[in-house]
Amino acid sequence: MVSDSITNASIPCPNVKDLGKKKRANRSAKLKQCKLDVRREQWLSQVKKKGCGEEWTGDGLHRDASNGSSENVESRRERGRVEANGPGSIHHDSDLELSPSNSPISLNSILGSNDSGTNYSGSGSSSSSSADCCSGNITEEDDEGGDDGCLDDWEAMADALAANDERPKPPSCPPPPQDLTASNGSGMIVGGENLRSGTRATPAAANTRAWRPDDAFRPQSLPNLTKHHSFPNPSDRRFVNGGISWAGCNRIFNVPTSCPICCEDLDLTDSSFLPCLCGFRLCLFCHKRILEEDGRCPGCRKPYEHNPVEGEASVQGGGLTYRLTRSSSLMARP
Amino acid sequence: MIDFGRVQKELQECSKDIEASGIKVTPKGDNLTRLLGTIPGPTGTPYEGGTFQIDITLPDAYPFQPPKMQFATKVWHPNISSQSGAICLDILKDQWSPALTLKTALLSVQALLSAPEPNDPQDAVVAQQYHKDYQTFVSTARYWTEAFAKTSSLGVEEKVKQLVEMGFPEPIVRSALEAVGGDENLALERLCSS
Repeated sequence: MVSDSITNASIPCPNVKDLGKKKRANRSAKLKQCKLDVRREQWLSQVKKKGCGEEWTGDGLHRDASNGSSENVESRRERGRVEANGPGSIHHDSDLELSPSNSPISLNSILGSNDSGTNYSGSGSSSSSSADCCSGNITEEDDEGGDDGCLDDWEAMADALAANDERPKPPSCPPPPQDLTASNGSGMIVGGENLRSGTRATPAAANTRAWRPDDAFRPQSLPNLTKHHSFPNPSDRRFVNGGISWAGCNRIFNVPTSCPICCEDLDLTDSSFLPCLCGFRLCLFCHKRILEEDGRCPGCRKPYEHNPVEGEASVQGGGLTYRLTRSSSLMARP
Repeated sequence: MIDFGRVQKELQECSKDIEASGIKVTPKGDNLTRLLGTIPGPTGTPYEGGTFQIDITLPDAYPFQPPKMQFATKVWHPNISSQSGAICLDILKDQWSPALTLKTALLSVQALLSAPEPNDPQDAVVAQQYHKDYQTFVSTARYWTEAFAKTSSLGVEEKVKQLVEMGFPEPIVRSALEAVGGDENLALERLCSS
């Protein structure tokens, strides 16, 4: 399951690759970045003084009004990003699974397509509504506020993973050729893993995985490994470095690219929004509209539960608060 | 305000597999709020071989509100009014879901033709006949199919155009066609006699 907190998880990455991106960033994106930085500082200082986001909300509104013109640009960019990220993040996952040392490259290539504006992923929703942007930012900024710590954690994590993975390799087996073939596209993910777990002791096999399923740092965008294993057709698991063959994964993972109600493209927030246990996805606008009327899921006709996805609350509290604050601010809008 | 983007997309999707489903949706006029649906009578039923036209009016809140559908072709069916063509079908009322489309709704109407629900009738006379004398019901339904659903391959608009070209004013042509259930020959007789 892909969750809302996908945006939180990906925040540190663009910072890591700041240099490469700034070259590509266009003028408006730079301007935006500038404003965002100023806002972050404002916010941080306010938090130090007040420890409360009330004043910040007003400030955010003001900012959005002044930034209205650049919102369209950003929304377009965001859309592009969703498409690039949808299959891309899966690709990324299998990369990490096989050889964590590859991950910075794939991360860069995926996120490189974003301009620096997307550093601030929470504003993805702001393209569609200014009110939800500012309330979304409050919780979103919690992550950004601890940006440096987060960054360190990320890097430390990557280092630790790389070290972890390299340690058992040299003595136990000569798998480099295996890794090579796997990342070249001829190997199959699950096949490769089975092979390894067969030749190694169990703890070593656990190390071949970049993230444990219960790891708090595991990006929510990564599909569950159990899903991989349950694929009926082994040819579906073929991993191609180009990632093009993963385009079909949208179908496999049953994430539509456009809202079945209004036929608009789903952005990142929409496509990670799972309002009903039946799995019927729709965009936030249509969901809101339905809540205003009879409040039943279009897919199963059952009334929407008050608390959209309970499972997610236990996984990532931040993602949930984010969504709830946003929906309440949506209600407040005229 | 109707979501015209979605309606456009639905029309495109529908025209893609028109051969497979036989279901056609065409706009009446140019504002996409009034459409004309066409469904073939299901095989193995008294409606087999007929082509049934359904007037569709989209409410402003479509797709959050169900489309209004009404048979333009006269049908003998317990759940369809033999007078007005009104359809008694839950998904066109309280069981509508925005995930349904014009095509799926028309498919449901087609399914209703093959599976009448006489215990929840729209037309009490037909339902009574269905219960008491099923054979008569079947032959009446078949006769109505022959008489009204096969008269012409022309759509209502084409019939109107034909009659207007003969020199009759359009509003009168429309009311005459409506009064005789869409048969252009009967309408012509009526127009000539009046």
